[in-house]
Order: sequence, then C-alpha cells, then structure tokens
Amino acid sequence: MTTIKQTFRQASGHKRFTPANLFKWLLIVFFAFYTLFPLLWLIVSSFKTNTELFGNPFALPEVWQFVNYQNAFRVSGMLMMMGNSIFIALSATLLNVVLASMLAYCLSRFTFKGNGAIFTMFSAGILVPLNALMVPYFITITSIGLYNTRAGLILLYAATGIPMSTVIIRGLMEGISREIEEAAYIDGCGFYGRFTRIVFPLSRNGIMTAATFQFITCWNEFVFANLLTSSQNIRTIQLGIRYFTNQFSTDFVSMYAAIVISIVPSILLYMIFQNQIITGLSSGAVKG
Amino acid sequence: MKLTRHDRIGLVSFTLPGLILFLLFFIIPVGYVLVVSLFKWDGMTEAVFVGFDNYASIWKTSVFRRSLTNNLVWALVATCVQVPLAVLMALILNERPRGWKLFRTVYYFPQVISGVALAMLWSAVYNSEYGLLNGILKLLGRADLAKNWLGTLQTAFPAVLIYWVFYIGYYMVIVMSDLSGISKDYYEAADIDGAGKIRQAFAISLPLARNGIMTCVTLAAVMSLRQFEQVYLLTNGGPANRTSTMVLYLYKQIQNMRYGLANAASVMLIIVGIIVIVGIRQLFKLWHAAYE
Amino acid sequence: MKKLLSLILAAILLFSLSASAFAQSSAEFNPKEEITLNFPSIWVGTDSKAPVFAEMVAAFNEAYKGKVNIVIEEQTDYQAYRDKIRTMITTGNLPDLFSVDVFKLNDLVASGKLMDFAPYLTDSEWAKTFSDGSLQEATVENQLVAIPFESAGFGLYYNTELLEKAGYTEFPKTYDEMFVMAEKLKEQDIVAFPLMTGENAWTSMLWYSNILLAVGGPEVYNRGLDDPAFVTAAEVLKKMFDYTSSDAVGAGAAVVNGHFLNFEAAVYTNGPWFLPRFAKEGVNDLGNKVKFALPPEYTGGMGTFGGMAGTVQAYLCAAKQDNPEKEQAIVEFFKFITQPEWLYKLAATAGSMFSIKLEANPDDIQVKQDLASAMAAAPYLVKHFNDQMPTAVANGFPAALDELVLGEVDAQGFVQLLKDNLD
Repeated sequence: MTTIKQTFRQASGHKRFTPANLFKWLLIVFFAFYTLFPLLWLIVSSFKTNTELFGNPFALPEVWQFVNYQNAFRVSGMLMMMGNSIFIALSATLLNVVLASMLAYCLSRFTFKGNGAIFTMFSAGILVPLNALMVPYFITITSIGLYNTRAGLILLYAATGIPMSTVIIRGLMEGISREIEEAAYIDGCGFYGRFTRIVFPLSRNGIMTAATFQFITCWNEFVFANLLTSSQNIRTIQLGIRYFTNQFSTDFVSMYAAIVISIVPSILLYMIFQNQIITGLSSGAVKG
Repeated sequence: MKLTRHDRIGLVSFTLPGLILFLLFFIIPVGYVLVVSLFKWDGMTEAVFVGFDNYASIWKTSVFRRSLTNNLVWALVATCVQVPLAVLMALILNERPRGWKLFRTVYYFPQVISGVALAMLWSAVYNSEYGLLNGILKLLGRADLAKNWLGTLQTAFPAVLIYWVFYIGYYMVIVMSDLSGISKDYYEAADIDGAGKIRQAFAISLPLARNGIMTCVTLAAVMSLRQFEQVYLLTNGGPANRTSTMVLYLYKQIQNMRYGLANAASVMLIIVGIIVIVGIRQLFKLWHAAYE
Repeated sequence: MKKLLSLILAAILLFSLSASAFAQSSAEFNPKEEITLNFPSIWVGTDSKAPVFAEMVAAFNEAYKGKVNIVIEEQTDYQAYRDKIRTMITTGNLPDLFSVDVFKLNDLVASGKLMDFAPYLTDSEWAKTFSDGSLQEATVENQLVAIPFESAGFGLYYNTELLEKAGYTEFPKTYDEMFVMAEKLKEQDIVAFPLMTGENAWTSMLWYSNILLAVGGPEVYNRGLDDPAFVTAAEVLKKMFDYTSSDAVGAGAAVVNGHFLNFEAAVYTNGPWFLPRFAKEGVNDLGNKVKFALPPEYTGGMGTFGGMAGTVQAYLCAAKQDNPEKEQAIVEFFKFITQPEWLYKLAATAGSMFSIKLEANPDDIQVKQDLASAMAAAPYLVKHFNDQMPTAVANGFPAALDELVLGEVDAQGFVQLLKDNLD
C-alpha cells in the first residue's frame, strides 16, 4: 500500500495539479484498491481460524494462525503438484501460442476463401461451454491413450485455448503495417520468412498477451485436471488446493493458505510475460 | 498481395495443425453435442430419438429463458461498460504514470486468484449479517438500505454483475499491448500541433488500437455468454434461479442426468453466440471502413 | 511421509489385531496373478474418515500381498467426484470400486454396469453383520447392487445456553411449542434456526424431511408428491424462516454451520459426522453446551414421536466384471473393510455411523450416544427427502424453496415447482 501512496504523492508532487490529473489518479487508485482488496483479504483470511472467518470475515485474526501454512505445506506432494502445474501450463502455453500465431498469421495477412468463416468459427469456439464436453473429452483423451498422463492435459489445454489465442493474436496482428511485409516480399522473402522474421517478432505484444491468458487459464483449470488424471504424481496444484475440501466440510483457511502459495508462481510468470511487451516503438511504420 | 503456389503451401502447412486440433476438440465434440441434443438420454440407458423436443421443452422453461436474458444483459454490460472502462484505464496507463507497471500487474490480480476465494469474498461482502456493504451503509447512516444482497430477488443479479464489472485487467492488458505498438512519432507530431491528450486519444490511440478493442468487445461478449464459474460459486444461480446463466442451466441438467436437454442448451448457446459475434464484426467493419 | 507412517501403523495394527483371521481369509483366495483394483475415493485428504480408512486399505494390501492391490485415487472435491463418476459411467469406463450417495441406485442399475453382490451375500455370515433393512435398501430388481456402508440419523441439536436465555431447559415436543420457543428466542435477538437455501439447501432439506414424517407418517413418500402432507410440511418450513438469520436465502453450508458454531443460532440439524465439530470448532465451549433432541411431533399429524429421518448415507459399489476372480477380489476387499473391528475404530475417530451393527462406544461424545440410542429406539427411520425423490426433484428443491421463502409462491406452489421437475 505504501508504494501506491508514495507514487501518488510523487506523481502529484512534481506534476501540475489539474482536475484532469486528479481524476486520473482517483481512477488509478480506485482500481488499484479494488483489485488489491481480494488478495489482501485472502492473505489476511489465510491466517484466521475457520470460526473467525465466518464469525467476522473482515476483522483481523485474534491470533495469527501460521499453522494454516504448515497444513498447506503438509499436503503430500505439494511441490510435485506445483512442478506438474508449471510443466503442464508452460508446455500447453508454448504449444498453444505457436499454433495460434501460425493460424493468426494466415488469417490476418492473407485473403483466401474461407478466411472469414474460419475466424467466425474460432470465435464461436470460445463460447463452446466446456462443461458440456466432459463426456466427449473423456472419450477423446482415453481413446488416444492419454488418460492419466501429463501429455493428455497439455494437449487438451493447448487445443481448447486455440480459439481464444488465435482471436487475440489475430486482432493485434491486423494492426501491423503491411508495408514492411510487402518490402520483404519484393526482396524475395517467402511465406515462412515473412512469418519468422517480420510478423512473429512484430506481433510479440499480442502473442505475449495471449500467452499470459493461456498460462493463467491452464494454471487455474480444475475440472479436467481432476477428470482426466488419477495418479497423485501427475496431478496439478489446483487439486492440491482442493485437498482441504471434503464431502461434508471445507477447511477454508488452510485452503486459502494453499491458494496464496499457489498464486505466487502464476503472478511471477505473469509479470515476466508482461515485461516482454515492448512499448513505444519508434520505427514509424509498425502500425498504420 | 496475390497468393502464389508457395503461399498456398504455406497456408496449408500453417493452418493444418491448428485446424486438426480444432476438429478434434471442437468440431467433433460439438457434433456429438448436436446429435445428443436430439435424444432423450440419461447417460445410463439407451438413448431415445425425440427430434427437436428438447429444444421445445427448454424454450418453454422460464429458467432457461431467464438464463438467456441474464447472459444477454451480461454481454451488454461487459461490452458497453467493462470494455470502455478497460480502454480508459489502458489509455491512462499508456501515458506511463509512475508505477504503471505495478498497476498493470495489480489490476490483473483478480484473474489470477482462484475463483473459489473470490466468490467467498464477495458473498461475505454482500452478506446481510456481517457483510461489508451493509456495514458501510450503516456508517453512512443509511442502515435502512441494508439487505441480503444476494438473497433478494431484485438485487441478486445486479450484485453479481456490479462486483465483476470493475475487474478490467483482462481487457486492459489486451488494449495496452495494442496501444504500446503505436509509434511515438504520432504523439510527438500531435504535441507539436498542440493537440490535447483527449484529442490525441480520439485521433490516434483509439483508431490505431481498434483491432485490440474489437478483440476485447468480441471476447467480452462471448465470455459473458458462456459465464459459469462466477455464478456457480457465488450464488449457484439463486435465489430462485434469478442469477442463472445458460451454462449453469445446462450444468444442472447434466447433474439431473438429462443429457439431451443439456446439449440442446449448449447448441442454443452456440447459435446465440454466433449471431452476436457476426453482429459485432459487422459493427466494427463500419469503423474499420472509416480508416481504410 | 504420511503414507509411510500409516503403512507402518497399519502393519503394527495388523499384528495386534486378530491377525490369524485375516491370514485365513487371505489364504482361501488365490488368484492366478495379482489383481489391481482402482478406487476413486472421497475418504482421503481432510475427510474425517481418511486416516483410519488409509490404514484399512494398507492393511488389506498387506494381507493380500501379491494377490490383490487396491489403488486409491484421491478425490477431495465432492462435486468433481460426482462429475467424474457420472462421466465414467456414461462413457462405459466405470472404475472398479467407488462409493455412491447422491446417485440413485435405481438410475445406476439401469446402466446394467453394476456388480451384483447377491450371490456373495445372500444367507451368508457377512449378511448378518448388516443392520436390519439396510441390505433391502440396496436391493433393486432382485439384485444387490451395492454394499450399504455409512449410515446416518438426522436428529436435532440445540444450544442449551441460548435456550435457557429464552427460559427453556428442554427442547419442545411439538412444532407448535417449538414456534412459541422460537418467538421467545427472537425477543432475545437470538436466531432460532440457522437455515439455508443455497447449494443443495442441505439442512433445510433435513428439516423438511423430519417435518414431512411428523405430518404424513412413515408412509408419506409412498403416497407421492400429491399427498397434502408435502404442502403442510412446506407451510411449517416456511414459518421456520421467520425465525432464521437474515442471510438464510442463498446461504451455503459453511454459513449455516458458522452461525451455530459461533453461538449465533440455537437449533441445528445435520448428520452424525458433524457432531465432533461442536467441540472442535465451536466458540464459548459449545461442545459441552449442545444437547440432542428428537424432532418434534406435529399436532394432528400421522407421525409417531421418536421417528426420524435416517438413511444409508453411502454405498460401496463395483463395476460388473468379466473375470470371476476380480469379482472375488472385490468381495474380499469389501468384506475386509466392513469388519466391525475396523468400523468401530473408524466410527470412533470420524464420528460417522455405519450400516454394520457395531457395539456402542462408551467413549463417544454424549450427543452421538444419544443419537445412537434414539435411532435404536426409533419406531421408524425413513430416508430423507433427497434420497426419496428422483434426482431432478431433489436438485430442484433449493430453487423451489427460494420461491417459497421469498413469497413468490405459496406452499401449494412450492410443491407444484417440485413436481415440475418430474419428466
């Protein structure tokens, strides 16, 4: 919180005070507070007892229950599950964005028959309710022999994320100027060369954005992670979090501790991905 | 550019892997959904062909119609309130105020935190016995307005919508990544011409980020239509199905072992979705045309 | 580490227990090669049955070493477990072993994929260990499609200190008197009944079940949803919502439990598994202030005082097998885990009750002993509403209850909404 206050003070200190400036900072601080609030609440709650949590959910804990974190770390195979999650989410993300950017390249840079139809189909793919597909996906994954394997989850996540990533990457690829590409074409740069040397690097922002979403989605996915695996040693962190729920009750505070632990890697990776987004290109012809 | 033979081979080789996966994980499963939607099937015994009966019968249930309306309202709020807010904040952060990278990260936190925790938090905020919202109202001297927000017919759905509408990180990140590709030259030229920030936004940033914005609008609409987890965890569709959505409805039909009804609902959802997507594309074509 | 520990524990236990008996049963069964049985189980993780259940499985695997190996798949999220089992049944990939509660045995039998235990149980010594009537409940179309395992009775539990504030030292015997008491509690600003309509409306459903029995008697379900008792019981339930917390509509189990454990509400109902939590999680020494009470009588009703909702809470099921040795292995395992010695220990640590006859445990907490003797003395124990109704009606209960409580429909309309869920 202090960082926000400091930045606020500094920002309003050295800039001219205008109503527009004030409004801007009000917005920034409002959203910062609004989006930080859940995380702060989660962290504070993860130090309470369950009875405190339901007696007064917004009070500080009477005694800070570090034992909740001990419980969370005591879940057998927590590190293993964390490792599985990182491996599965990264692999699926990589596979997903490579395939999606190839598709997006074709869809955004070329006019061919069926282009529009494919794009509409992919957009519609995003709205296919995956809950309705438990039965068909179970059949697909078992029949290609990938039930209870990491590869099965990687394939499923990469594939189900393709529509979303393609739509995002295509959207941002469209904005890239065609002039550079045309110049490269005249210089004899072929289909693949234009992709690897021009379009792919220039759409890095879009690809990183899609990768961010894909990674977080894989990281948080639970239903199919549970449906398509049975051995503890290939399961993901989301199943580890659910360790604290059972048929008749949930140990919410220990679960919160596990959630806090589990979001550290995803926040770190999110920041790494987002820092890959380059800003303020000065070469004039990129967009237009 | 005209397509050469080389280009054609390239196109096929680049689209094929993605299309095969799409076929395997979307086309075939959706085909399955389509077929099952024509049957009465409990997943246990032999399925019985009933034609379009499932469609007729879900259309007759008020729960499904309410779910559809909720989804459409949701999509409207997402595209007309949430995305513009996200664009506004993207424009502001694109100005690089101090700490903008930190804010870009923080705004995305709600998406990172698991839905379970988020739902627990908001049900606690809206709770009538110990809720934060009623507490604030009491402080403001308006205790008369206090209520069980998620348990009242009139307030439940707005309450679900409102908390979520300010979680803009997702769309903001897309618009920001599009904005960041815009050359500084444009802004420098505009500065020299003496154009103010707001004019620059309308003349440079928004038109050049229109693809990112269109992506956001499409995603916002589509994701609102398939909204599930938030509602499932926060209200499970209650009270009295007032906050139900189409996917929640179909999930409950799966729980009832009525696969035919569930899959008919999926098909309806996909049809409604395609209409909305095509509509949005037409709207943006108009905007696009203005700059071609 | 934990697994290793439980393995060692189990090994020690195996020696200390009547090891000869196990060795004998194991010696009789000699499959050609080791049989592996998959068991996606919910009795893992933080479930109160988990530690002893793990011991039982380890002990079995030890006793049948080289013959049968039970592989447990941990399933902690209950909703996801249901989704998984349902999907596996639908796709014909039934796990070898699984447990069942919400699924209607009738539905499952229709799939034709369940193993029939009748050949192994009928007129056997094993059959005699089950409590009266429980095997009949698992019999559908002359097939014994499941082994009754966990059972439950649904009595009432009240906070003596809160009741004293309203001037009561004993729980009222009729619903009319109960509402008089609720009124007095309300005057003291005490919530009489923590109720819920969220999730599956569990505790409200249990209240409804007990009221139904009081109004319509033990045969009420046989007469079907057209019976006026369903309407009358709905009226009583609706009246209870006048004395509940303001957040009852939409409340989930955690909220309801929280009100009772936090000393905010006076009268509670749930299954025996919840009872240890009064002491463990309740504030102000709640564990010593809770007493058991029988559900009241409805004046002019057809019920008998002392009767209550009680049910087989969980069955053990298995997939039909082509290999008779595999069927035999399943029987060996189920026999092993339904031995009274083990269940006695499981009941003592988990608070649960079982469909197998067990001696009373003098070390049990008082409320559980009271519940057990009330169940033994009950003129009838009848399955609760959710168990009696088709899946869709049971799943439609919470939304119908919302409409009733919020005044959108009257009791008649409530029953109509339930009926609308029928095909």
